[in-house]
Amino acid sequence: MQWRKLRASFALHSRVLDQAGLLFRASVSVQHPIQGSLAFSNERQYRTMPTHGIGKYKHLLPKEAPKKKKERQQMKQIKTATDAEYGTLNVKVSGYDMILVEHYSQYIHNLCNRLGVKVAESYALPTKSTEVMVMPEQGTKMYVDAILKTHERIVQLSQLNATLCPTFMEVLLKNQPEGIQLSVKLHTEADYQARFKARPELEGLMAQMT
Amino acid sequence: MAAPCSRMANRPLWQFITNVRRTGLKHTGVRQISLSSACRAATQTRSKTEGVPSPWKLYGAVCLQRLPVISQERNPIEDQFAELMHQMELERSLLSDHEQRLLEDSERMTRKQADNYDSDEEEADYGGQETITAQDQEDTWEQKLKHFQPALRDRDVGGTPLGSVERCLGDSLVLLVQQTVGKETIWLLPQAQWEAGETLRQTAERGLSSLPEADFKATFLGNTPCGVYRYKFPKEVRTERCVGAKVFFFKAFLSAGSASQKEPFLWVKKTELQGYLKPPYLEKVDRFILNL
Repeated sequence: MQWRKLRASFALHSRVLDQAGLLFRASVSVQHPIQGSLAFSNERQYRTMPTHGIGKYKHLLPKEAPKKKKERQQMKQIKTATDAEYGTLNVKVSGYDMILVEHYSQYIHNLCNRLGVKVAESYALPTKSTEVMVMPEQGTKMYVDAILKTHERIVQLSQLNATLCPTFMEVLLKNQPEGIQLSVKLHTEADYQARFKARPELEGLMAQMT
Repeated sequence: MAAPCSRMANRPLWQFITNVRRTGLKHTGVRQISLSSACRAATQTRSKTEGVPSPWKLYGAVCLQRLPVISQERNPIEDQFAELMHQMELERSLLSDHEQRLLEDSERMTRKQADNYDSDEEEADYGGQETITAQDQEDTWEQKLKHFQPALRDRDVGGTPLGSVERCLGDSLVLLVQQTVGKETIWLLPQAQWEAGETLRQTAERGLSSLPEADFKATFLGNTPCGVYRYKFPKEVRTERCVGAKVFFFKAFLSAGSASQKEPFLWVKKTELQGYLKPPYLEKVDRFILNL
């Protein structure tokens, strides 16, 4: 339909131009050259002009989905173990020395990437401070000797192949640095919920409701 | 084949919880590894009606490793580099709280000793003198450090026998046992013959537990074997039924264990294996023992 219209408009235009060619040229020569160019750039061409819609390109690009607002964080599906693969595993690295803990967790993450094990998440749990109190022989009052901070990092693996597992664990154990505890557990929903802060007002309101 | 290879896929994986701790020098000289199974599904053993039994005898062997207890010694290059990095870090770092306190205290002391010292002004700023200065704390800490005696890194000074578990604490050691195979007594990884109705991993566990006068608590990491050694019997022994034997190796880590210091056991490093194992056997075993 549009093609036919264009062809018709072409035909029309050719006739129109022939007739009003002189007029057109005259009008251009009269106007100021700069004004003329500005006028042309601000005006949109009429539908019958062959150059109608000449600068359009948006219709050629692929359709983008409309931008959604950030949704509330949902828990990722916890995978179950099948015959050949383990489910979602949490590899927890904890220790007093933050440098060693961080470097070791980074090493585990890189190793998984290299071996092709999918890493679902990699996060840190809040640091726990332990106060070491010393009681002197003479008195009864305990005083603070030192503050030890325990750092924890978790690397969550999703599909660890059962054939790869012994080799993977061996490499991990042999490269464990001094003073670092390594623990591998199944990921549960309780673990996920423990990461969130407690909201006392909300809990109070919920208790009031029930 | 009486299905030992596919046992791995057959047996449903049970959930496990592993807790590994690496502490300093402990008396046992062994890293504690605890493994507990949360729920173990019933092992399904596939019973196949066999037409012709295979001519290979099957053995399950265990490669029991004791993980290193302390860190390895550094090379001279590693030493130099570590020192260089430490120096660079020190030069680039900022002062910590404790160091700032030290500086402030020393400044305050110099100001006190100056002639135009105004104690009222000072106290107004600081709100009362602190009784313990940072320097005092440092002195007490140094005193405590002097009391602390770290254990010796190298316990081999006396020359521990090869059978001791506490040999080279910086390396991982493999257990070797002397067993009679055929006519000879040779050193090899502990093994046991496979019996019908059990998985190969259970065979390996049995091989380990049946060692005389030793109770090693081992943690097997998975159901999959890590290596195979296949050999044919010498021609005199060969019959139609058994042409040779296949040995499947499983990896395990020593979690706790003690053994009397008797002859049959050897804990060796990977580099020392050559002196004890036969070459074709060693070739296959070498492939799966990591030298990390």
